[in-house]
Amino acid sequence: MSQILELSDAKSKGFFGRAGTVIGRRTEGRGIALLSVILVIVALTEPLVFSAYSVTLGRIALIGIVALGLTAVILMGELDLSVASTLALSGVVMASIPELWLGILAALATGLIVGLINAFFVSVVGINSFIATLGMLFALRGLAFVISDEAPVSLVNKEAGISFGEPLIGPITPRVLIFILVFIAIQIFVSKAQAGREFFAVGGNRQAARDAGIPVTRRIVTGFMISGFVAALAGIINSLERTTADPTAGSTVLLTAFAAAIIGGNYLKGGRGSIVGTLIGAAALGVLQVALTISGVQVPVQQIFIGAILLIAVTTDPNSLRSVRGSIRTLRQGRAKNSVTT
Amino acid sequence: MVTAESEFGPVLIEADAITKSFGGAVAVDNVSISVRAGEIYGLVGENGAGKSTLMRVLAGILSPDQGEVRVDGKPVQPGARAAISAGISLVHQELSLVPEMTVAENILLGSFPTKVGFTEYRKLRQIAADALAEIGVGVDLDERVGRLSVALRQFVEIARAVAKKPRILIFDEPTATLTPAETDYLLAMLRRLADGGMAIIYISHRIPEIFSTCSTVAILRDGKLVRSSSIDSLTPSQVVDQMVGRELGLDLATKRTATPGAVVLDAQGITAPKVNNVSVQVRSGEIVGLGGLVGAGRSELVRAIIGADDRTAGSVTLTHNGETITIGSYQSAVRNGVAYVPEERRIDGLALSMSVEDNIRLPNRKELSVAGFKVGSKTAQVAQLLADKVGLRPPEIRRDVGEYSGGNQQKVVLAKWLGRRPKFIVLDEPTRGVDVGAKAEIHRLVKEIADQGTAVLIVSSDLPELLELSDTIHVMRDGHVTGTLSKEEASEKSVMSLASGETIVRSS
Amino acid sequence: MTTKGTNAETTMTEVGATQKSSIGVAEILAWSSRNGVFVFTALLIIAALVFVDGFASLINVTDVFHRAAPVGIVAVGMTFVVISGNYLDLSVVAQVATAGVILIAVSNTHGIFIAMVAALMAAILFALVNGIAVGVFKANAVIVTLATTFIGLGVLRYFSGGSIFFGPPDGIIKAFGMGKVGPIPYSAIVLLVMTILLSILLNRTNFGFLIRSFGVNESATRLGGSNTALIVFGAFLVTAIAAMVAGFVLAAFSNTAVSNDGVGYDFRALAAIIVGGTSVFGGRGSVFRTLLGVIFVSVLTNILVLSGISFGYQQIALGALIVFAVSLDAIGRKVAR
Repeated sequence: MSQILELSDAKSKGFFGRAGTVIGRRTEGRGIALLSVILVIVALTEPLVFSAYSVTLGRIALIGIVALGLTAVILMGELDLSVASTLALSGVVMASIPELWLGILAALATGLIVGLINAFFVSVVGINSFIATLGMLFALRGLAFVISDEAPVSLVNKEAGISFGEPLIGPITPRVLIFILVFIAIQIFVSKAQAGREFFAVGGNRQAARDAGIPVTRRIVTGFMISGFVAALAGIINSLERTTADPTAGSTVLLTAFAAAIIGGNYLKGGRGSIVGTLIGAAALGVLQVALTISGVQVPVQQIFIGAILLIAVTTDPNSLRSVRGSIRTLRQGRAKNSVTT
Repeated sequence: MVTAESEFGPVLIEADAITKSFGGAVAVDNVSISVRAGEIYGLVGENGAGKSTLMRVLAGILSPDQGEVRVDGKPVQPGARAAISAGISLVHQELSLVPEMTVAENILLGSFPTKVGFTEYRKLRQIAADALAEIGVGVDLDERVGRLSVALRQFVEIARAVAKKPRILIFDEPTATLTPAETDYLLAMLRRLADGGMAIIYISHRIPEIFSTCSTVAILRDGKLVRSSSIDSLTPSQVVDQMVGRELGLDLATKRTATPGAVVLDAQGITAPKVNNVSVQVRSGEIVGLGGLVGAGRSELVRAIIGADDRTAGSVTLTHNGETITIGSYQSAVRNGVAYVPEERRIDGLALSMSVEDNIRLPNRKELSVAGFKVGSKTAQVAQLLADKVGLRPPEIRRDVGEYSGGNQQKVVLAKWLGRRPKFIVLDEPTRGVDVGAKAEIHRLVKEIADQGTAVLIVSSDLPELLELSDTIHVMRDGHVTGTLSKEEASEKSVMSLASGETIVRSS
Repeated sequence: MTTKGTNAETTMTEVGATQKSSIGVAEILAWSSRNGVFVFTALLIIAALVFVDGFASLINVTDVFHRAAPVGIVAVGMTFVVISGNYLDLSVVAQVATAGVILIAVSNTHGIFIAMVAALMAAILFALVNGIAVGVFKANAVIVTLATTFIGLGVLRYFSGGSIFFGPPDGIIKAFGMGKVGPIPYSAIVLLVMTILLSILLNRTNFGFLIRSFGVNESATRLGGSNTALIVFGAFLVTAIAAMVAGFVLAAFSNTAVSNDGVGYDFRALAAIIVGGTSVFGGRGSVFRTLLGVIFVSVLTNILVLSGISFGYQQIALGALIVFAVSLDAIGRKVAR
């Protein structure tokens, strides 16, 4: 056993070589790039964003919390479009129950049940998660309308809502605190817990995961329940702070949360990505949104920005770029075939 | 490394009269083997001889129709888990790894050591490190598997099997993708593991490896065990003879005598993933064969030639009636008379839930339409004609292709290209999974195509087929052409030797 | 898509001959997911005639047609994207609104011809962005069209300022919107014509054939020598043009247009397509079936409205319908295998 075969190609390259290896392992590149660009531009044009950091933090928290839940599902190569309605529904559920604590519990339970239903259709029935959760997106929106009687529901305990919006320490409002806790919990789950780590296997090579004895269906259920639970949490926070629950809430959050998760380096095909990446993506989009708002940019233009970032994010992952290179090559060589020699 | 049988310990694993068939085709036919502790048991046979099926029965992935597997004389319950707990471990192909997880995590995939649901990373890394140390491979435990070379991934697979503390370790062609140095290392490792008391079953195509490493060799042919004996009692050429075994059923009646015409396809310096600077020429009316082992880079070569996959270097031209055209994209290749019968016909060749007619229509749609509108009568007529020509049975062009057997499906693939009167056709494993009758018909068709002046390039792992059809055979190994054989020089042995690296004949 | 069986020996030995099981669950499920819409639509209409007061009234029938037409036009177009295996085009929400706003706003200032050309340009632009992102960059169609929905709506709201545009009270647009043949409004006739045209496009042309072939097997279609990026673009273009026509019809009906006119069209069109029996797994489906699906969904919605059931319940019903219809398809496929 004295002879050790050193076949690894990532060895003995000195500091830069090793740094390169470490960077190559990470998936957050695009997120960091976007965040840096946005930070530099904002610092030069709208430094107010940094002094109003409590607003910025609050915005990041709202985007980030939904995006974190989504990441759990995306890591397994699935999608959960229903988060937007889950957010609205759980808010409405909470607001319609007079006792606040009961309401919060009921709202969280709603999120978990939604996740369970989504997972049932995806992993047991075998429907594509885009379609299953799209159907749920509309059905749950309908349910939110039914419960709320198609109008925003005011919170019974308005004082609780108002005090919920107050900072605890410095700029840390309960919303930001919850966001940080959710981040830590999911980060630990995905990087340390066995079930969380196995999300990567389920997304990266589902057949191999099955062969290795990983309970794939159970992991998918867990993932959708996380995303449902977290979306419900976001719905509760949103409704508490506004002291009303709006059955139409959530559709912009859906877009922004997807943009945050995807720009953060989470591959839609699954198996690759990170919670930290999602955090970076959420930070980038949060800063951007606040900066745009402060600069007086209209809401529609903000939507264009976020939509464009999502479009760029989803078209610039390595797989997409590879197929584009192939296409360009095809075009070029298609022209070359005209060079007929006799 | 030849040792007398008495040196080995007791029999660890026995396969008793195993029979396994798939939908009527017998893959393994009444095979019995037994392997002792400390023994390296070689298993050889051509592609499709039933080696992999037998191994998957041993590993509990497949359950046998008849017979049983015993470890220490006790029958093993069905199922992969039971096999693992009985101490049987199979080294999978590299595709059973999760590319985005680390080396350590892959080694223990599905069996992470945990404490209240949390992974104990220290323990996990320790077990993984031990497994890697046992096979003597140094690789960064935290590296993502997707960033490793193919060879390293193979070693990670081995570490994964070793981490289960097996007593019986099964290798299914582990060296197919390794370089000679890596192969030597792997073989030394096998001996070390065997010396530690493990029973090892080693499947390979490469005869020299078997002779340098194994103490016993079993030869499978057409699902049957032809011979099992101590390696001393055999010579390499005897093994090859027994593997091939069959009477060389060359169909002399249809043997082609046509003399090849001008060069139609000229591919120079083709370089692509798994293909290293290969040049191929095919003449009008000539059938050029590409021989070699699975993974030698033949499919990659032909796909790079026709533009179905990207090539990093090389040029391809097609000459017809004195006009030379450069082939770039796959679309331009098809437009200029190239046809491709892919290896995975159910994935790449056919739309299974569409009709025979629709499948034939796909490449011929422009000719079967006016201003983009389908001409129904003409389409049906041409499809019927082509279906009849290739001998589709039953010749019902409205039926879904998926309802037909493998042989008939392949005829549909041929039919769709024949309609284009290709100048150059590539056939990759044209008769894999095809019954004997359909195989003969496909051979007849290929010869007919060539006789009509088409340049034919054929990839086949079926040696008799390659020999029967080809006018010239290039044999590939590790992305290179290791030799070129004329029809007279070509024999199963000469192709096999070049393919397995027993001898290397450099062609000029 | 990533784990295709590549083991040579499995492929070799498991390719059996024709496999036909006797009539069982698989057949029943497959049959009902394919043909259920015929039976259910008929049953639904009969039930409505018998039990729902006012369903058969002339005013109500015209109303059903008016409401069904724009959704139906979107649905018959979007059927192409679904059959090509790209799930759906969410951005029809933005496309319908864009076409309507451009039609009214531009024809007020530059005349109807310029307005229609401008709307066509916008439709082509949508198709180009969606088609390139999905066809060339191979990005997920749901996410891409979610992004283009927001971009499109953002641009539209920016330029329109979210205000409502009114057409001239005596213009050709209004005349078209109010026009009827008996109880049937012109918009329903447009739907019928679109159905016939797109049916011909799907079933009789090489383009339609490639859409179906691509939906069944992308790789085989590419290796058959076709440009798959163009196929994807084509599917999105058909959808975009249909969405444009739907936007025209919708704007003409009320003679007004506003940037959130298209809300809910993505979802109702998808419901109609899926209920019609077009498979979200790609390859199988027809435009005519989508028309039946539109009738089913419209009659169902009408019954709910007439019965005084609120909007929320209607949404729940349609969402459940989608999931149910796809489940039937998925289970049918599973059992058949």
